Amino acid sequence: MIRQTWAIFYDAYRELNAKRLFWFVLAVSGLVVAAFAAIGINEKGITVLWWQLELFGVTSDVLPPEKLYKAMFVQFGIGFWLSWLAMILALVSTAGMIPEFVASGSIELVLSKPVGRLRLLLTKFAAGLLFVALQVSVFSVACFLVIGIRGGAWEPGLLVAVPLVVLVFSYLYSVCVVIGLLTRSTIATLLLTLLFWFLVFAVNAADGLVLQGREANAMWLERLPGQIEAREQAARAKIERQRAEGDEARAEPTDEELLAVEPRLADLRERLQRAERNRGRWEAGALAVWAVKTALPKTGETVEILNRTLKDRADLEERDRAAAGPPAELGQMAGPFGVDQRALAARVEKALHARSVWWVIGTSLAFEAVMLGIGAWIFCRRDF
Amino acid sequence: MDLEEVAKTYRGRVHALRGVSMRVRRGEVFGLLGPNGAGKSTLVKILMTVIRPSRCRGEMLGAPVGDKSALRRVGYLPEHHRFPEYLTARQVVDYFGALADVPRRERRRRGEELLELVGLGAWRDKKVRGFSKGMRQRLGIAQALINDPDLVLLDEPTDGVDPVGRRDIRGILVELRSRGKTVFLNSHLLSELEMVCDRVAILVQGRVWSQGTLEELTRESRRYEVVVRGEAPAWAGELEGAEVRAENGSSRLVLRGVEVEGVQPVIDRLRREGRMVVSVAPMRESLEELFMRAVTNPATGGVLPPGAARGEGEGGA
Repeated sequence: MIRQTWAIFYDAYRELNAKRLFWFVLAVSGLVVAAFAAIGINEKGITVLWWQLELFGVTSDVLPPEKLYKAMFVQFGIGFWLSWLAMILALVSTAGMIPEFVASGSIELVLSKPVGRLRLLLTKFAAGLLFVALQVSVFSVACFLVIGIRGGAWEPGLLVAVPLVVLVFSYLYSVCVVIGLLTRSTIATLLLTLLFWFLVFAVNAADGLVLQGREANAMWLERLPGQIEAREQAARAKIERQRAEGDEARAEPTDEELLAVEPRLADLRERLQRAERNRGRWEAGALAVWAVKTALPKTGETVEILNRTLKDRADLEERDRAAAGPPAELGQMAGPFGVDQRALAARVEKALHARSVWWVIGTSLAFEAVMLGIGAWIFCRRDF
Repeated sequence: MDLEEVAKTYRGRVHALRGVSMRVRRGEVFGLLGPNGAGKSTLVKILMTVIRPSRCRGEMLGAPVGDKSALRRVGYLPEHHRFPEYLTARQVVDYFGALADVPRRERRRRGEELLELVGLGAWRDKKVRGFSKGMRQRLGIAQALINDPDLVLLDEPTDGVDPVGRRDIRGILVELRSRGKTVFLNSHLLSELEMVCDRVAILVQGRVWSQGTLEELTRESRRYEVVVRGEAPAWAGELEGAEVRAENGSSRLVLRGVEVEGVQPVIDRLRREGRMVVSVAPMRESLEELFMRAVTNPATGGVLPPGAARGEGEGGA
């Protein structure tokens, strides 16, 4: 049993090894790490190899080397290279594995061996993840060494990238398996999987937008009553002052009178009403998008977990303070929702982080399990 | 191998196999023949769990058909097989040996032996990518034998192999039989089967038309043919099971259901009457004649259409 599993893994390795793309990606990974290592920072500014750049005004006093490397790893290494480019290259390399596995002429031989079909498929699936596991391991360990040697900070936490990126790839690869079994074509598998990924990305973007809308609306709802109250009081004080001067009767000023002295009050009241009307809509929208997201794998958010663990807490706390700072005059700040952008971003991030890691990984794994279930059902029942 | 009522219907329409029953005895070379699309490959694929039968009762090596663990003792060469192009001959044999759960050391040793046996010894470290059809076929046979199987199923083993290669493969089959292995052979090359098979079954349109030893299958057609110059005597036509055919200048007496002893009185009588006996020959149907008889529609006299029953598509491939 171990012998057969090992044979399938070893074969997958040889298959990848035979593809030049595997070595190409590894070489590019190496270049990326070398580029990291080449960049340094000292008290005068940024250095690239032996050239000194003083353009940025960034020195090691402002940004310690340790932070620079971590930032580079998170922003570029994880955010760009591992979660986008390397992922696409990994899909290109492995999209053919399942179609070639079930190609007529080769599948008969494998099925005629004393290995159960379910085991065959799952082992093959796991072997597909081998590609990404190898690539990401090499990249992450190299980055770990660069940050350690050049930045002086040994951060084993960034090795969490290996399981996380493999996890993200496994979501996509489960889709690859089903499409590969259905179409038996490498090109179709690759394109449809990328299309699916794009769909996930689009839903993610929609989620961000809806969350922004909901939070902005909530901010209006929180701050408008106070502002209206303040305006009303100011108006009352004004009227009272006028009456004191004119020696008029001391009756409670009517609403019309308040509006007459403070014209913006009407506008603010109208906005409050609108925000109250919209609250339900935003909530429903956010819930709908959330429901769709629950069903889909969360590629972006899974990688984001790494940011949660790595990013300096100080950075976040600073933003929290900004969000909790004195309420700015609403409507006067720039931005599509007419609210303070920094505060809004902090609230959205808070809302995103309110979704637990277990929701992110659990529902994604559930999706993967469903996909693999469908794949297994197709594979185990098919006549080849 | 003991099969009963094996049937496979694709999408409820195309009947690739319509209740096949056959028995293959331990230690024999069994040939399955039939026209294209008769269901030969489908039957083998069912035995190898590549295709799920619609209906199947039967045993293979003492285990029910479909039992994966029995496949440990079975070797299989599929038709139109494709090996991973990036592997060398040795790696192919090793990989499929590992899948068949053969220990590493044994795989190494047997792999070397088998590659020598099929004549690929010099090519063992060459990539399959550069192999010709015949070499791939030889490699396929080596691969099928890596687990030292008790039963070997070969689907068109001589497909694309030159005459020398065919003779080599026949030699391997005979060698396997002498070692007590059971060989199940799928072929439409009749001369191949005639030379090596102990027993054959003829599959036509998803049904076993006939099965048995070549001797049994052609027994009915066994006859003696006596050719005499001139016209045949009148009494000859009255002999039991006899038939007289006039040929130019001579007559042919076809005697069915008689042994060589039964022919002697006929010759004696012909000689007594002073007739010239030109030839006396024992005759029997060749496998090709038998096969042609199997695929001929008795009603129309034409050849049955290839493919599965109802002629719908390539059901048997």
